[in-house]
Order: sequence, then structure tokens, then C-alpha cells
Amino acid sequence: MMLADTMTIAGMTEPEGHDLRLVLALAATVAPPLVAAFHAWRGGSPQSPRSPAAAALTLSLVASLVITRIWMSGPEVTLELGERLGGGYLIHIDGITAVLLPFVALIELAIILVAPKRFLDGPATARILWSAGATLAVLATAHPLVLIVAWIVTALPTWWSTRATPGGHSAARVYAIMMTLAVTCMTVGTLMMIVDPPWEDGVGAVGTSGGWLVALAVLVRKGIVPFHSWYPALFRGAPMSTALAATMPQVASYTALRLFFGHADHGGGVGTELVVLSQLALVTAAYGAALSIVQRDLRGLIGTLAMSQSALVLAGLAGQLPMELNGAFCTWISSGLALTGLGLVGWALESRAGPLSLETPQGRFADAPLLAAFFLLFGLASIGLPCTLSFVADDLLVSGSLDEQLHAGLLVIAATVLSAIAVMRGWFMVFGGPSTVDGPRHQVLLRERVALTALFATIVLLGLWPAPLVRELDRAGSELLGVPVNAPPPAGHGEAGSLVPPSVAAP
Amino acid sequence: MSFDSLPSFAPLASALLPADEMLLHSIVSGLVVMQLASPALTLIVIGLPALLGHPFSERTTTRLVGTGFTTAFLAALATLLALSLRGFSPEQVHLGTWFSVGHHDATIDLVADGLSVPYVCFSTGLCALVNAFAGKYLHREPGFTRFFVLLALFGTGMNLMVLAGSIDVLFAGWEFLGISSTMLVGFFHERTNALKAAIRAFTTYRICDVGLLTAGVMIHRAVGSGDFERLFAGVWPNAGCLVSPGTATVVSLLLVFAAMGKSAQAPFSNWLPRAMEGPTPSSAIFYGALSIHAGAYVLLRCEALLDAAPLARLVLVLIGASTAIHAALVGRVQTDLKSMLAYASMTQAGIIFVEIGLGLRVIALFHIVSHAILRSLQILRSPSALHDRHELEAALGGHPGAAEWSVVGVLPPAVQRWLYRVALERGFEEMAVSRGVIGPARRLLERLADAERAWTDWLGTTALDRAEAKAVERLRGKSR
Repeated sequence: MMLADTMTIAGMTEPEGHDLRLVLALAATVAPPLVAAFHAWRGGSPQSPRSPAAAALTLSLVASLVITRIWMSGPEVTLELGERLGGGYLIHIDGITAVLLPFVALIELAIILVAPKRFLDGPATARILWSAGATLAVLATAHPLVLIVAWIVTALPTWWSTRATPGGHSAARVYAIMMTLAVTCMTVGTLMMIVDPPWEDGVGAVGTSGGWLVALAVLVRKGIVPFHSWYPALFRGAPMSTALAATMPQVASYTALRLFFGHADHGGGVGTELVVLSQLALVTAAYGAALSIVQRDLRGLIGTLAMSQSALVLAGLAGQLPMELNGAFCTWISSGLALTGLGLVGWALESRAGPLSLETPQGRFADAPLLAAFFLLFGLASIGLPCTLSFVADDLLVSGSLDEQLHAGLLVIAATVLSAIAVMRGWFMVFGGPSTVDGPRHQVLLRERVALTALFATIVLLGLWPAPLVRELDRAGSELLGVPVNAPPPAGHGEAGSLVPPSVAAP
Repeated sequence: MSFDSLPSFAPLASALLPADEMLLHSIVSGLVVMQLASPALTLIVIGLPALLGHPFSERTTTRLVGTGFTTAFLAALATLLALSLRGFSPEQVHLGTWFSVGHHDATIDLVADGLSVPYVCFSTGLCALVNAFAGKYLHREPGFTRFFVLLALFGTGMNLMVLAGSIDVLFAGWEFLGISSTMLVGFFHERTNALKAAIRAFTTYRICDVGLLTAGVMIHRAVGSGDFERLFAGVWPNAGCLVSPGTATVVSLLLVFAAMGKSAQAPFSNWLPRAMEGPTPSSAIFYGALSIHAGAYVLLRCEALLDAAPLARLVLVLIGASTAIHAALVGRVQTDLKSMLAYASMTQAGIIFVEIGLGLRVIALFHIVSHAILRSLQILRSPSALHDRHELEAALGGHPGAAEWSVVGVLPPAVQRWLYRVALERGFEEMAVSRGVIGPARRLLERLADAERAWTDWLGTTALDRAEAKAVERLRGKSR
């Protein structure tokens, strides 16, 4: 690994003080949802499985925030524990982990709180919690074999839930085909990389081919063109909770981050595979956003938007500049929170009014004005509304991309513009049009209000005061790229392939 | 022409304000922040209870919004007095660095100068007046609170854009303007036409926003920051540009592109007549007064860049002139008052673009203010036009009659007929955009979406299921 200041404690025998607190907090983050999943699976609290599930995820959220706090108040040295294999350790906690854990815990908690009662029986709750626990665990490891297992473990509940949904057989089959392909490529590729590590001297063809197989796995799992079709299909066929939990944490982006960054053959920077992936991701981002404009139903809209935003993250991850990488991380978080909110609002609407078409105005405003307000706020928060985190994310991503390559910047801009048009069209089609009711018919429940408000407040808070988050991500990004924090842009940036050579201004 | 030639408030200001430079700076900074914070606070105060399902009463809402705009107006007036004491030299208000990554600093900078402060005076004053009008006009309207929330959002965005001391802050204000404008066009969301108009307006805005977004990135690349202080030197309207002519030209052209959308310049003009679907007070303030001039304001703010970019100025003049001619022609055959006024606004916006392109900045600023005041009055009175007409006829004792001479009358009849047809078809602009760009793009995307769906349907079905479905289909065919 290229991390010079990495603290390695072999065999998990020496964690003390600061590190011990981190490990304990990590255990407190991952364990509650798994315990609650077991409890729900065994048929505990059959009448109200939501309460223990919400309590477990609240505990997870608090514990993950403790990790963030410990991390930011400590020396900010990457903690690596356990067995090392293929460049990764069993437990790997760095700035990215510290930021992503509370993000995922909040998303899972919001899903549990908003899920309509009829979708939340014991087995469904167990699947959501199991998936949540597994995803949280994944974000604290860099061990290739554990990542493979995690891919399987997180994909299974999604497939199961989709299959158990009436009319979800087709989507479950598509998902199963794609995930089988992804997991197979991931397994074979990782094993090939372990046998013949491309980051060591004397790199052979086996390791390099393995790297490309892993890249293919990431391509499929992230829904990048030409393997993107499962994304909107899953949103159409699965319960919204399943689709959101499967896509918003972006396990594949995390895998790409851990497996492709910092290898010696890349000069300590970004892997060639990731650069190729990023080009396809750029196309996917723009294509997904364009498709979202002509979607005929709300789920299709959310699915294609999620596909586009997820691709934007991968596109930014291949950036050579910390700014671009930072933009990708911010997009990861902002789009995850905003699209989760949008999806949950859509789900709440569907549970009251049935499937929502976008072909004709549905006139839902008078029926649920508060949901209309939340839909608009989350929609705008996903497309760069000022004072939200997505504004910061767009700014960094666009600036970074344009700094690096003209075509990348233009595709990112195209994606944001088209997504925005799709969101506004979606709002007007769902809530506009003649209404058959005089006043609000469906009140928003307290738990729904709390969850949606918490999600939106987080997006706004991080948007109004982004400096600590951006600083943390900048540090993490610089570490991954192997450059000092706040390094000036590499020579040549802003010249080759740019619109105009940068002029030196003397104020 | 510059502000030096205008009557000065300096004697009055020197009598009222302290001479100490530091103290004056603190006072001006506080006043500038107040101009921004006042409508923003109003937005939060009326928006949050509405979001929680407990909106204020109509009277309280109107009073709160009125207080917010009046406070901002008074603060702007006081700032104007303070600035006149110093010959309108710009006052930078640095509120801190929002975030910083490597060489990219996003700073929250505001600027009070001879352009921004008069503009805030005028815009907040107009918003306060429209607020008073709308309180009665929208009485018992189901979306009463929504209108005022959007008006407060618009006011916040407008002041943010006008007072912006950096391109990042300006872009944030610009975005608020676009969103509030779209939501007000679609205010009567139960009408299908209003929905279509809102989507069309937003699409145009968003496409043209690409210009401002890219210009912002270019500015960051050129000077390492979005601060106007590092981009321009000197006092508006005679500031100098601190970047190379090449960069100035590219950034200026991008800004012109951005301004075309908000200011409804050809070929991005067809959203404006449709935007009149919104309530009359919002039409007055958006499409008669403030929003339509937002593009012109940005160009005025970046006039130093235009000075260094003759090509951009030429493009600006051509776009403005063609829009003015087009809108003047089309406006003459409109059969409803609001559409006619929309085209009249477009004509004036075009002329303002020409003025900016020719370097007549102070004239352009005066043109904006006078046009905005007159046009909002006309739009606000438009629902009572028939009543006004009857009163006029009663006062005159008969039909006032139409003008006897028209410039079109000197043209040959065949040309007149052709011009009439062109005007009726709105210059074929809409048809060209619809048939040449939007239609084919939409059809292509729909086909792609259908193909995607067919692919996932095929993949999601087993061979056995497909064979069974085919057999059922065959049997149905036979039975028919």
C-alpha cells in the first residue's frame, strides 16, 4: 500500500486507547442490526418489527457518529488490523470509513422508519437489517476475500426481497443474472490478483487480467453501460426499501476504491482499470440522466436518476485531482441522501395512491401537499440546489472534471442539467393536474416526517457548513492519490485539452 | 457616462454617517448582510411552519414578507448613502471561506458598489410593493402561503445574485431565481398549460445555466478563485479586466449564453409568453421587472470582461437586436394582453442587451429600472384593462381610436402579408426548435427507453415462459 503513515497492528492483538475505541465503536455499529435481524428472523416482535429495528439502527447511527468523532479528534492515521491479503486488511478504518458509516446508517434508519406497514413483516425486516449490517461491515474492510463475501451477502437479501414481491420475478431474475456475473468476475479476478499481484515487481499477465475482471465486476455491480439495465428494473420490481438499500451505499464504488487505489504499477495513484471505468461511467451518467427525462413512471425516474448519480461517483473516483475525488465523495453522500429521500417520498405516495405514472399529470398535490414539498426539496437537493451538499458536490465535480478533461466536464454538466429537467418534470407530472380532492386526504405520519426531515436537514446542514466534511474528504482523497493535502494542481492541468490556457491574474 | 456625472448624495451622507473609515466599513458590512439576511430570514420564518403543516394566517404572512423586503430596502438605501460618501468605491464584505479544496476556494463574498446597491434598492422596493398587491390579489387562493414562500425565495436569490462578490455566490442566487420562477409559472398546477409552461421555462433556464456554470469554472481556473476582486480592478462601470483577452472572450460568450435564457433572448425566448400562466403579481415581478433582467445584470456586473472581448460584444449586440426586432413584430399580433406585454418586455430586454454590447452601461442600468417599473405596473393593471378602457372611453366620450400611421404600412402589401404570417407564427422560432431539436431528441430517447425495457423484459423471462407466452398468443390469434 502507498500509505506511508499506516499503522499496522498484526493479529488484532495490540489495539490500545484511540484504536481500541475505534474498534469498539465499529463493533457497536455493525452488531445491532445483525442482532436485530436475527431477532426478527426468529419471529420476535411479530406485531411491530419496526420498533426493535429502528432502535437497532439508531444505535448503529450513534455508534457510527462516535467513530467519526473519534477519528476527527484523533491523529487521523489509518487503522489497519488483522490479516493482510492482496493489499487489504481485514479491518480498515480511514477518513472515508468514518464519513460513510453514519451516512449508510442514516439511510437504513430512514428506510425502516418510512417503510409502509404492509411491507415490513418479520422476514422483510430481517432482510433489511441483515443487508444494513453487512453493508456497514463492508465499509470497514479492505480485505479482498471479505469484499467478495460481502458482495454475495449484500446481494442475497436484495434478490430474495425482489423475488418475494408480487410482480418482482422478472426484476429478481435480471438482478440474479447480473449479480452472478459480477460476483463470478469479482471472485475469479480477485483470486488472480492475489496469485499474481499486479502491485508487486514482475507483474504477470494473470494479475493484470484479474484486475480487468474485477473492473468488469464493478462495471456490472454499479450498473455502468452496457450493464446498466438492472438498475431501473430493480427499482420497478423490488420494494423501494430493497432498491434503495441495494444501490445507495454504493458497495461497488467502495470496492473499486479499495482495490484500485494506491497500487505500485499506478505510481501510487489511480489504477488504469479505474480510468477506463470512469470513461464508461461518464457516458452512463449522461445517458441515465437523458433516459430519466422520458420515463413513464415514478419508479423508472428514480431508478434512472440513481443510475446516473451512481455513475457520476465512479467517474469522479478516477480523478487525478483531490478536488475531483472530493466531488465524487460528496456526490456519493449527497445523492445517496437526496435520492433516498426522493425514493421514500415516492414510496409513501405509492402506498397511498398506487403506482404513479408520469405520462399524464396525476394531480396529487391537494392529496398530499407535505409530500409534494418533500419531493421537491429532495429532488432539488439531488441536482445541485444551493445551500445543500449537492451544490458543493456539483461545484467540485464539475470544476475537477473540467480541470482534467474537457469532455469529462461537459458530460458531467450534461448529466446534471438533464437530471434537473427530469426531476422538475417528475414533480409537475406527479403533483400537477386536476385534483379530485378538496384538501389533504392523506396525512404524513410522524415517523415519516421525522425520517424525511432528518434526511433533508442533514443535506442542508452539510451544504451550509461543508468545510469539515470537505476537509476530511480532501485529506482522505489526497492520501489515496499519494499527494500532500492542499497540493497545487499537477503541471499541465488547465492547459492540455482545456478551453483556454489559464491566465495569471495579478490582483 | 459614469456615476460621477450623477447628482451626489455625499453632503447628506456626510452629515449622517461617521467619517471614520473602519467604522464606516463595519456599518456598510452590517447593512449589506442585512439586505441579504432580511428576505432569507423571512423565507425561513414563513417557510418552516408551512412545511410543518401550520402556516401563518394571510395577514401575518403578508406582513412578515413585507417587513422583510422593507427592511432590506431601507438597509440598501442607507448603504447607498454611505457609498455616496466615498464616491461609490466598492465595499467588499468577506463572510468567510465556504470550503476549500487544493487551489479551489469557494468564498462567500458580497460587494456593495454603484451597481449592486441601487439594484437592491430597486428590486426590494418592487418586491415590497408587489407583496402588498399580492396580499389582496391572492386573498383566499389555495396556494397563498406557497406564493409568498416563493416570493421570499426569489427575493433572497435576487439579493444574493445582485450583491454577489464572487461567481459562486452569484450562481447560487441565479439558481434560486430559476427555481422560484419555475414554481411560480406552474403555480396553478391543476392547469395542464401551466405545467407545460413551467417545464419549458425550467428546461430553457437549465440549458442556459450551463453557460454560467462553465464560466464559473473558467474564472476559477483563470484566477484561482471566484472572487470578482481578483477578476476586475477599479470601480464599476469603469473597472478593468485582470485576465487575458482569450479567457475574457470565452467567459464572456458563456455569460452571454447564460443571460440569453433568463432574459428570453432568441432563440430561447418562447418560454416567456407562456410563463404568463402564473399569477399576475409574479408575472409582474418576474417577467416584467426583475427575472427578465437578471441576465442583463450579470452582463453589467462582468462588463470589464466584455470590454476585453469585442467578439462577445458583437454577439451580444446581434442577439439583442434580433430579439428586439423579432419580439416587436410578434408582439403586434398578439390577441391577449399578457402575451403582448411579454413580447414588449422581450423587446426592451433585447434593446438593453444592445446597450450593454455597445458599452452604454449606465444607460442600460437606467433602462432596466425604468422599464421594470413601467412594465410591472402594466402587468399588475392588466386584469383591470377592460375596466380601465371603459373609464378612458367614458372620460373621452367615445372610442379613442388607433394610431393612423404605422411603419409597416410603408411596405408593399405582399411583404406586409408575409410579415403578418411570420408574426402570427412567432417567427417560426418555436416550430424550428420543436421540430428540429426537441422532437427528434425526445423520439430518440423514447425509443432507447423502450429498447431498454424490452431488453430487461426479455432477460427477466425464462425461455419456458417466453415459449408459453408465444403459444398463448398463437392460440388467441387462431381463435380470432
